[in-house]
This record gives sequence, structure tokens and C-alpha cells, in this order.
Amino acid sequence: MAVTDQLPDAPPPELRFRRGLAFTSSLPKLWESRHIIVNLGKRELRVRYNQAILGFGWAILTPVVMMVVISVFIKQASGIKVHSQGWPYPIFLYTGLLAWTFFSSAVSSAGGILVSNPLLNKVYAPREVFPLATIGTSGVDAGAATLVLAVLFVIYQRVPEPTIVWLPVLLLVLLAFTVGVGLVFAALTVYLRDLRQLLPLILQVGLFATPIIYPLSFIPSQWRALYITVNPVAEVIDGLRRTVLYGQAPNGRYLALAAASSTVVLVVGYALFKRMETGFADVS
Amino acid sequence: MSPEPGRVVVDQVWKRFRKDRGRKLLRDHLTRAAHFGRSNGDDAWRWVLRDISFEVEPGDAMAIVGVNGSGKSTLLKIIAGVMFPHSGSVETTGRIGALLEVMSGIHPDLTGRENVQVYATLLGLSRKQVAEKFDQIVEFAEVEDAVDRQVKFYSSGMKMRIGFAIAAFLEPSILIVDEVLAVGDSSFQQKCLTRMSEVTKSGTTLLLVSHDLAAVAATAHKGVWLGDSRVEASGPIDEVLGKYRSAIEERAAAGASTGGPVTIRNVRVTGADNSLVSTNAPCTITLEVESDEEYNVNLYVGASEGPPTPIFVVRRELVLEAGRTTITLELPRIPLPAGKYFLWCGVFRVMSRIELAPWHPIASLPVVGRYRLDPTPGSIVRLSPVFVESNWTVERPVLDPVADGS
Repeated sequence: MAVTDQLPDAPPPELRFRRGLAFTSSLPKLWESRHIIVNLGKRELRVRYNQAILGFGWAILTPVVMMVVISVFIKQASGIKVHSQGWPYPIFLYTGLLAWTFFSSAVSSAGGILVSNPLLNKVYAPREVFPLATIGTSGVDAGAATLVLAVLFVIYQRVPEPTIVWLPVLLLVLLAFTVGVGLVFAALTVYLRDLRQLLPLILQVGLFATPIIYPLSFIPSQWRALYITVNPVAEVIDGLRRTVLYGQAPNGRYLALAAASSTVVLVVGYALFKRMETGFADVS
Repeated sequence: MSPEPGRVVVDQVWKRFRKDRGRKLLRDHLTRAAHFGRSNGDDAWRWVLRDISFEVEPGDAMAIVGVNGSGKSTLLKIIAGVMFPHSGSVETTGRIGALLEVMSGIHPDLTGRENVQVYATLLGLSRKQVAEKFDQIVEFAEVEDAVDRQVKFYSSGMKMRIGFAIAAFLEPSILIVDEVLAVGDSSFQQKCLTRMSEVTKSGTTLLLVSHDLAAVAATAHKGVWLGDSRVEASGPIDEVLGKYRSAIEERAAAGASTGGPVTIRNVRVTGADNSLVSTNAPCTITLEVESDEEYNVNLYVGASEGPPTPIFVVRRELVLEAGRTTITLELPRIPLPAGKYFLWCGVFRVMSRIELAPWHPIASLPVVGRYRLDPTPGSIVRLSPVFVESNWTVERPVLDPVADGS
């Protein structure tokens, strides 16, 4: 045989491949890959809706059915008295459902995107493009579902308040939190397959534990700050109702808390994802 | 970073996998955690690449050969950037077009057209470039009629062709092709080989994994042989393939059973006048066949480059008596160009074709001589080296304007 020298059992530790967590290098790479995210997202939408008769109707159907079921049955049965400041309950409810449906579908699809992904081992791209693309498709779905809200406004002959200018801030907080949580679950599910079963349960609990059916004021006021820190979606929904429906400004303190918490989740989630990225191709 | 695109530098790359990879349930993590104190966990890992270093210059065509499981595909994945090494580093410059598996990145629910568009942009082409290349890709892949059909209704050959066409028409700086030629029919294989030599000529670096050694020899000019998770040999393709082939032969010799009813021993190979065997010259092979009882047999003797598939085989029907029989075989003209070959032998019963001595290598057969095979361009692949004498006659054109028909 050609090689006679003896190889050690393991490589010298100084050779160990390490990749720093420098955002200065990974973020530009992510920016370069933006067209990949767009294309992956388009492809996912095409695959999903090409063969479905209803097409984008499906994106609308889920929150609409939820709205009908909850306002007709659950609200009656539970006897919750909702103080919606004169707004019809379906609009109040649908505002919350929209935000939650986006969060929940984004996180659940991001959670499974790296497991048995046919592209993961074939095409080079920063791995976060896969969860980001699927979160993007949830965003498109949410956009389609927003049309129903417009229809509801027409039915009840209402118009949104001018405080709707707060909307971008609220959406940004929601997006940051969703991406952060999505990245965390995407990375963890690769190594911990049980999460695929656990995640729907968590999201199911979240649907009822978040002020969607009921207003934020149902959370006892001494716990509210802590609650919003843990679940910024609650503040986003409350903010949406205040600005779009009631014509109030969002609660500044709570919004700041939610924004801070979402930012931390996003940064930590991204760092965790990049940290675990080197092993994804080995196990999935 | 070197500004020159197409360079690949693999420096002391190590890679290991968990032996039980795939199982990622909570229970497995708990079991592992429970064992953590007792063992250092090293026994759960298996090294698939150990201390791999080589360099590919821009425009080179490099082949990676090795038996199944020697780490070839893992190495390509690391070079392509979809996997990360455990230790060491890989540096590449320029865009990489990787065809790591058949159907890589092709989505069955999309049409051929949509797949070409999506996959090409994933590999780094802009929309405009895709539009420019689209017709070429479709024409090369021979899927014109099916381009608006969903890919799940394609035949596996069509899927492979479209995958190869996309990767090959990207004009990447580095083209990585992993054992994909096996799927297409021979005319498409020929097209792929032609395309690969075209792209190398235009300056693309080619990294190729294939078990088709003839195609490898024709396409690549450098080679790396991975064996037992390390580099066994690297350098010019002929040297590497020579070493690889002898290793295959040695492995076959070691694996051949000797306990059969018939054994071959004392093989002697001589050329004319007891010298070495040379091209186009006579050769005498003497072998002793030991049999435990009387059989009516077919005895086959052949020559190969290493693998069990011979370049030629000759047969003799004879009655083997119990005990030792000495057989002399004369080949008046050896049709092999200079190189290293192996003699293989097998003994089978005439009627039942029962194997008495398996087809196994019995001796090496070095051939010397001044005859060399005529060189060919990369797109002409010899199945195996055979020397054929040739006499050419070239007649000057008759300069008669009437014969032109014009």
C-alpha cells in the first residue's frame, strides 16, 4: 500500500474546525442569499397550492373557521363577557386570530423544515434560508387572511382608526419573535425529534393561553408584565386591537417590554441556530 | 483568498459520524447522558475521513475513486459546503455547481420548467441567466415534450438528465459530479462525458466521483484514491488508477477461496525467449491444476486491469483427472499495450456449470513494450485497453471541380 506512515486516532485539537458566531460575517452571507429565500418560498407556495382546488382559500379558511367556531360555540359555552369597546366580537377575535395563526403556522412549519429536507444536503446556502423561507410563506398566507378582516370591516360598516400607523411597529415585534422562536425550534428539532410531537401541543396551549378569545385585561395586572415578556404575541394582539379598533396608542411600557424580549429571542435564536448549523447535514 | 476562481484546497480534513446516526429521540439523548460519566463517548463515533489533504488547480479535472463507503461522497459534500468538517479546512473560490445525487433538489410536484427555474436560482444563477440557459438545458436533457409536466411523472432517466443539465449549464467555477452517470443510457452518458470535457476546457474545475474507471481515466487527469477513510494515493490519474486497480486485485486474491475441489498453483508467465511479456508478442502461461477427483470441465483464463471484468477470456474444455495436471497455454500475440495486468482463472463443470474453482486472480501480468495506445479526447472512452495494429492509407483529394457538383 502506498501510505506507510501511521495516522493518529484523532486529529490534533488545534485543527478543530470552528466557526465563530460573528454576525458580521453571517449576516452579509444571509443577505446574499435573499433570492434563495424568495425562491424557496415561491416554490413552497406553488407546491402547496398548485394542486389544491381552493388554492389560497386554504390560507383564509383556517382563521375563518376558527373565528366562526369560537364566536358561535366557545364564547357562548364559556360565558366569557368580553369588553370589546363597542366593536363586534368577530372583529375583535379575528384580529387576535390573524396574529396567532401567522405565529403558529410559521413556528410549526419552521420546526420541521430541516428534518428530512431534500435540499439540505444538496444545495449550499446558509441554512437559515429554509426556516426563513417557510416563515415567509406563512406571512403570505397571513396577508391573504387579512382580506377577511377587510370584509368584516365592510360587513359591520366600520373603519380602522388612524392610530393604525402603529401597525408596522407591532408587526416588526411579531416578526422578530416569530423568526427567533422559529429558528430555535428548527435547530432543536434536528437533534431532538420528539419536538415534532411536542410542538403542536405547545402551540395548542398557546392558542388558549394567549389573549385571543379574551382581552389582555383578563391576565391579572400584577402578572401582566412578566406574561408579556414571556409571550410578546400577547402584547402584539393587544396593541393591534388598541390601534386598529379602539383608536388608542399601545401601552408604551408593555410594548417596550415585548420589543425587548422579541429582540433577545431573535438574537439568541439566530446565534443558537448558527452554532448548531455545522451538524445539521450530519444527522438529518 | 485567492482571486482566481476554481481553486479547491482541502487541508487536513477529518470527519466523523455517530455510529447510530439517525436516532434522535429523547430517550436516546437520555441514555447517552446516563452513560456520560462512564465512557468518554469516543467509541460511539466512526471516522469516515482522516487527514485528507489535496489541492485542485483551476481548470483541473480531478477524480476521486475508492470502494463503497470510503468517504468519497462525504468529501464531496464537505467541498460543496453542505457539510462541515470536524477538523481542518476546505477553501474554494468561485461558484460551485454540485450534482451530489440524482434528483438533487428536484421537486416532484413541480413541472420540469419550474424545477429548472427554481433549482438554477438556488445554485446561484440570476433570473436572466436562467432564461438565457433554459433552452440549452431543456435541449441537453432531451425533455422538450415533457417540460410542462410534473416531474413525478418523469422517468428516472429524465430526472437524472434534467439534474445533470442544470448543473452542467450553470457555468460554475467548480463542477462537482457524484456518481450520476450510472443512471442514464449509454448515449446520454456519452453526452455527459462530452459536456464535462467541454466545461473543463473552458476553465471549469471538475471534481468527479465514479466507479466507471474507464470514464474516469478518460475524463480526469488527476486522481485521489480514498481507501479506509484516508488518501491512499494521489497524483496523475493513471498512477492513481494503477494503484487502485492492483488493490482491487489484491483484495480479490485475498477473498478468493482456496478450499474448493479444484485449485490452481504454480502459475508462470513468460514472453518470447523466457523474457518479459511484450505487446504484440507471444506469451506462454503454465499452470498446475490440482483436482480431488475426475471432472469434465471448462477452464477459463483471462486478463484484466484489476477488477473481475476481463479484457479477454479464452476457454478450453478438458477432462481433469484426480491429482495434478500441468496445463500450458500459448497466446501467440498479446493484444495488450504496456502496463500492469492480472491473470484470472476459473474452472467450471461442463454440463452443470458448477463452480469448481471460482473466477479469481492467479498472477500478475506485466506487459512491456514500446506500443502505446493512441491518445483520445475525453469524450472517447475506451472500455478497456486493447492494442490493435492498424495500417492507414490516406489518398489526396482529387482537385477536380466537376466532382464537387458545383
